[in-house]
Amino acid sequence: MKSKQIKIALRNCGHIDPEDIADYISKDGYAALGKCLTGSREAVIETMKKSGLRGRGGGGFPTGKKWELAAAVPGEKKYVICNADEGDPGAFMDRSVLEGDPHSVLEAMAVCGYAIGADEGYIYIRAEYPLAIKRLKIAMAQAREAGLLGKNILGTGFNFDIGLKYGAGAFVCGEETALIKSMEGNRGEPVMKPPYPAQKGYMGKPTNVNNVETFANIPAIINNGADWFASIGTEGSKGTKVFALAGKVKNVGLVEVPMGTTLRELIYEIGGGILNDKQFKAAQTGGPSGGCLTEKHLDTPIDYESLKQAGSMMGSGGLIVMDEDDCMVAVAQFYLDFTVEESCGKCVPCREGNKVLYQLLNKITHGKGEVEDLKKLKNFSEIIKSASLCGLGQTSPNPVLSTLDNFYDEYYEHVTEKKCRSKNCRALIKYIIIPEKCVGCGACKRACPAEAISGEVKKIHLIDQEKCIKCGACYQKCKFNSIIIE
Amino acid sequence: MKAIKSIDDLKTLTDEIKVKSIEDKKKVQICIAMATCSIASGSGKIFEYFKEEMPKQPVEFIIRSTGCLGLCHSEPTVEVTLPDSDPVVFGSVDVKMARSIIDDFIKNGKTIDGVIEGN
Repeated sequence: MKSKQIKIALRNCGHIDPEDIADYISKDGYAALGKCLTGSREAVIETMKKSGLRGRGGGGFPTGKKWELAAAVPGEKKYVICNADEGDPGAFMDRSVLEGDPHSVLEAMAVCGYAIGADEGYIYIRAEYPLAIKRLKIAMAQAREAGLLGKNILGTGFNFDIGLKYGAGAFVCGEETALIKSMEGNRGEPVMKPPYPAQKGYMGKPTNVNNVETFANIPAIINNGADWFASIGTEGSKGTKVFALAGKVKNVGLVEVPMGTTLRELIYEIGGGILNDKQFKAAQTGGPSGGCLTEKHLDTPIDYESLKQAGSMMGSGGLIVMDEDDCMVAVAQFYLDFTVEESCGKCVPCREGNKVLYQLLNKITHGKGEVEDLKKLKNFSEIIKSASLCGLGQTSPNPVLSTLDNFYDEYYEHVTEKKCRSKNCRALIKYIIIPEKCVGCGACKRACPAEAISGEVKKIHLIDQEKCIKCGACYQKCKFNSIIIE
Repeated sequence: MKAIKSIDDLKTLTDEIKVKSIEDKKKVQICIAMATCSIASGSGKIFEYFKEEMPKQPVEFIIRSTGCLGLCHSEPTVEVTLPDSDPVVFGSVDVKMARSIIDDFIKNGKTIDGVIEGN
């Protein structure tokens, strides 16, 4: 059932004791570092470029190219940063890697340090991941004791050590310039690029920032060769991607599949299908920065380019599956609520624009929308996208644009007929008791927290629509299916 | 662990550990997923249970606390590898099932319910 999976980043997760370095070494741990240290820096970068590995944090920038840029900048002091500020709702692949195989990230950071000429690395990790932090600390102490971090690693004269920096859970700090600001003790706000971190990063020094999953791939690439890695995946996207399957799917969890796997394979073969065998409606990839894929995308091979073409993005790999009961306007509203909360407020388009988008969506889901609002949504989205400072604002309207694109009918129904076909928007639905079916048991009346239901025992009951708060308690309690949602 | 002084030392150490892990294949190996998600679904109790019950069994064994296999839908998960066999993953393990894994699967090699296929 899950044979479509190929585990590279998650190769050791669940198979080794993350708190025992010997277990990692038994899986050829630190062999990649040893191999790199016997060759030239250029050779390491060449291998990375040849492998075709691209940033797994979402952007998809070629990792080898990134290293080459950082290596080319002159400077005595450089830094390697591991971005473990995983913030997409529903994504937890980085946590799983850090909790299951922390040494692979440490090893890859040392490899990166050697390649770009850095002797210091930091892992920027959210404080909400206490277990990951604990295991990283144990792993770092063990690696130091074994002489795999610190001065004169493996007698080669290469020095590299790693420290931890804690994030307070701000979504924008996943953006590399904001992350660096936060590490320096400043407000986590992004700055204009260029200069790129490779030129002027942490403490003004050349810095290379990669995501956890990107690093986790690297020891395997070095050990097995660039050609091996490049043989997996599609033309432009090599290797595998870890997805966090969540939402209305039977087997929620982490899966790692070759790039180019289709959504259908992910949801139906690996995920086991839709919960309660309902109808698939959409899948949101890329979290609040991404968009939704619909039925027509089910057989599209998933890679960086195809997702972009479909109006979404890879993001960090969160994949939230939605069924017929999910209202797409409400989904867009959920993500905008998140972005409004997480916008750092530095630039106007993102700070104010997203608020406007949220208010418009709120108006629509409350049955007060007009057709004109749909045009406004689109206009504002485009302005925010083109005028925002960083990746957060440039992508935050994506959920709106993509749902508008794919589910315009639903939006239109909300504003014209004041109808929510998924029966999700509370302001647009009514709970009604069918008189013919009501037996007068009184279960609904007892369940109602708003005392909106009247009726004597063994007589037909009635819901007072004025008082009804649409919580659905009566609907769930009724054993005779006498209550319907309209 | 002693400091590894050179790349050759690392190779020697890796070989030593690998030889030991081949020897370990003669034992029953039990991996209990202990990531945040697993612990939240109660794997801590299962881990303790195996640690307490396995020494009473007439078999040689190793118990490992590992990260997770990504099977959130079936946590807590336990992976058991019998000597010279392929690993078998059990999902949604509670104490009752843990008992059955020890009595039926480990001691008698019987197949029991709760196996997650295709890992």
